[in-house]
Amino acid sequence: MTAPADLLRGASMALAGLLRRLAGPLRGLGGFAWFVLDFLVAAVRHRPPPGHTIREAFRIGIKSLPILVIISAFVGTNLALQGFHAFRPLGGGRLVGMFVSLAGVRELAPIIAASMVAAKAGTEMASQIGVMKIREQIDALEVMAVHPYAFLVAPRLLGILLVLPALTILSIFLMLASGYVVSVAQLGLNGAEFIHFASQGIRPVDFLYGALKAMYFGAVISLVSCWFGFTCGRGPEGVGQATNRAVVVSAVVCVTSNYFLSELLYGGGP
Amino acid sequence: MAATLLAQTSGRALAGAREALSALGRFGIFAGQVGLRAVTPPFHLHLGWQHCWTTTTRCLPPVIAVCTPFGMVLSLQGLEIFELFGAQRLLSGLVSVSVLRELAPVLASVLVAAQGGSSCAAELGAMRIKEELDATEVMAVDSLRWHVVPRVLALTLACPLLNVAGGAAGLLGAFFTAVYVKGETAGVFLGELWSLAGPADVWGGVAKTTIFGATIGLIASYHGFHARGGAAGVGQAVNDTVVRSVLAFITLNYFLTSAFFGSAGP
Repeated sequence: MTAPADLLRGASMALAGLLRRLAGPLRGLGGFAWFVLDFLVAAVRHRPPPGHTIREAFRIGIKSLPILVIISAFVGTNLALQGFHAFRPLGGGRLVGMFVSLAGVRELAPIIAASMVAAKAGTEMASQIGVMKIREQIDALEVMAVHPYAFLVAPRLLGILLVLPALTILSIFLMLASGYVVSVAQLGLNGAEFIHFASQGIRPVDFLYGALKAMYFGAVISLVSCWFGFTCGRGPEGVGQATNRAVVVSAVVCVTSNYFLSELLYGGGP
Repeated sequence: MAATLLAQTSGRALAGAREALSALGRFGIFAGQVGLRAVTPPFHLHLGWQHCWTTTTRCLPPVIAVCTPFGMVLSLQGLEIFELFGAQRLLSGLVSVSVLRELAPVLASVLVAAQGGSSCAAELGAMRIKEELDATEVMAVDSLRWHVVPRVLALTLACPLLNVAGGAAGLLGAFFTAVYVKGETAGVFLGELWSLAGPADVWGGVAKTTIFGATIGLIASYHGFHARGGAAGVGQAVNDTVVRSVLAFITLNYFLTSAFFGSAGP
């Protein structure tokens, strides 16, 4: 056996292993695409149950509210501390307000609100639908000629689309408020200056962009979490695994696409 | 009428507060039991290594997939501020400080909670529901020592490792955006990279994530170990794990940042 032949064989085996490992995620991606298509068709053909949307919106919003308030407040304090350290060498400790408003409004508030909703409401969607699946309640729905996607997914999607922009805007104001408190009380800066520079960093259209980002994230979270619920394996481990994957995949997809959304909305090229 | 309503509401609030406090107490006792078993022999180190390896390899792709875009966004938005002053060369200093001190530790811990912590809770919860944990106890094997301690140690070790990987990925992402998308000079970016940050920031991040990892491990195994009520109970345990551990370490983070890096530090 000559060395190049060995090398070739090793390389082809490595390639085959890589392809085999890629097969699972690719199959999942294809399944998800079909799920979204099926869902869209079902949502158009069968009217989603009225009333369920408002109930889901209420549940998602209220359940995610406490954790969102606490996390946003702490992120705001952290932004102020970090901004102060970064700008003080420049003699720009005063710019903390601008840093908090730019970083908080544009990037962090949408992504924080989305990840908290993914952690709280998304995991709940995956585990609820997963439990329904393993108890064969989904089959029971089909037997009653109720389309499960229209009945279960549509209210959750619409509910999260209603609620997540509102939570994002709330998170923006909480970050600004806690940043203000830390800057004035802990760092000893001038409050009026903070507000002046903070308002320089925000344009009215930023709120619209934040809400648009939030709606995109909401759609991703609800569809991904519901899909993992519907493809849940058997038994308690199946539900646990579906819940686990739902939060990881929706967080990763949101953060990764956030860069492209930011580039699209804010980056005006080089 | 109003008085009875008030009495009922305050009674319910008090009962809720008592319930929360006693849950906290039970968690404290659980943490103490686990901590005691972690430092006394017999050790099951091979289990710890095994769990550590699976946790690290499972969490690595999400950590890298999240930290890289965050570094890229930081570059994108940071340049916008610095362009106002014509001070683009300061970008990499800001990026390295905030990635190493805050972003990498917090993001790595969020993903360890979402991936490692929740799968730890799901595994232990499924074992509890299927009465496998009771079976281990029947065989006179200490289930805390055999099942819980290795998982907690694995998360405690994996979290700092992933923090370092996430930090490197974030800096690479920032470099890519600044140099190849925004057209800054690579030499300036690299030269200014350590102008504000130092090895102390890396070690501070590692210390923080060790504490976060232990917190995640304890919260996850507590919820998994005490799961109840069939498959839905496992889902609930996973949900509680993610939410509570994120809440715990974001709150801790503020105090640890103030302690390690100081509100008016260098």
